[in-house]
Amino acid sequence: MNLFRSEERIEHWLGGREPGATIPVTKLSELAHAWWGDRLAPEWRPHTREQNQAILDRLDLTGEFWRLP
Amino acid sequence: MDAVDLELRNLTYAKVVELGHVPTAAEVAAAAGCDPEEVVAGWRGLHDQHALVLNAATAEIRMANPFSAVPTAYRVHAADRWWYANCAWDAFGICAALHVDGQIETSCPDSGEPLSIAIRGQRPDDERLLFHCLVPAARWWDDIVFT
Repeated sequence: MNLFRSEERIEHWLGGREPGATIPVTKLSELAHAWWGDRLAPEWRPHTREQNQAILDRLDLTGEFWRLP
Repeated sequence: MDAVDLELRNLTYAKVVELGHVPTAAEVAAAAGCDPEEVVAGWRGLHDQHALVLNAATAEIRMANPFSAVPTAYRVHAADRWWYANCAWDAFGICAALHVDGQIETSCPDSGEPLSIAIRGQRPDDERLLFHCLVPAARWWDDIVFT
């Protein structure tokens, strides 16, 4: 789970491996805040699979790649 | 997660913020008033529930996500401290968890070019960067360190 300057850098770094998913850093920031924002809250409870999937879905991170087990 | 697990988990994370690093079993045990062995036993249960990640070779925490207990390529300055994150997602996650602005220092894994990202009001100052996730979500926890 890394940051890159360009698609070309990602492709070069993959070196022929099957690519995963690429999203803009702005979406990553949204994802991180939705995913981790409650992590230090005293009332924290573990996210259920459904809660985490809803976070991904809400950010249009859909399809087989983003489907949690 | 039962109440005992939750209490240990919350104490462990509270110590992360208080100490500025992922705590040792001895540090958590001192705060809990118990033996380090009891803390480690509790952590093993939390590891199995994916609430934290233990080092496979020791009884110490490797990840209290989004915080890393070991140096990584993702350094984050937030809340007047430097932290290590497990990955790019977690680097943003440290600012999110602490509810503060911050600065991420890393490098492109392909070119080695330094990347410095300021986060202000939950937004990165360089919006041209791309995030690549190699492993599909269904397999993230097969090997979370690799993921």
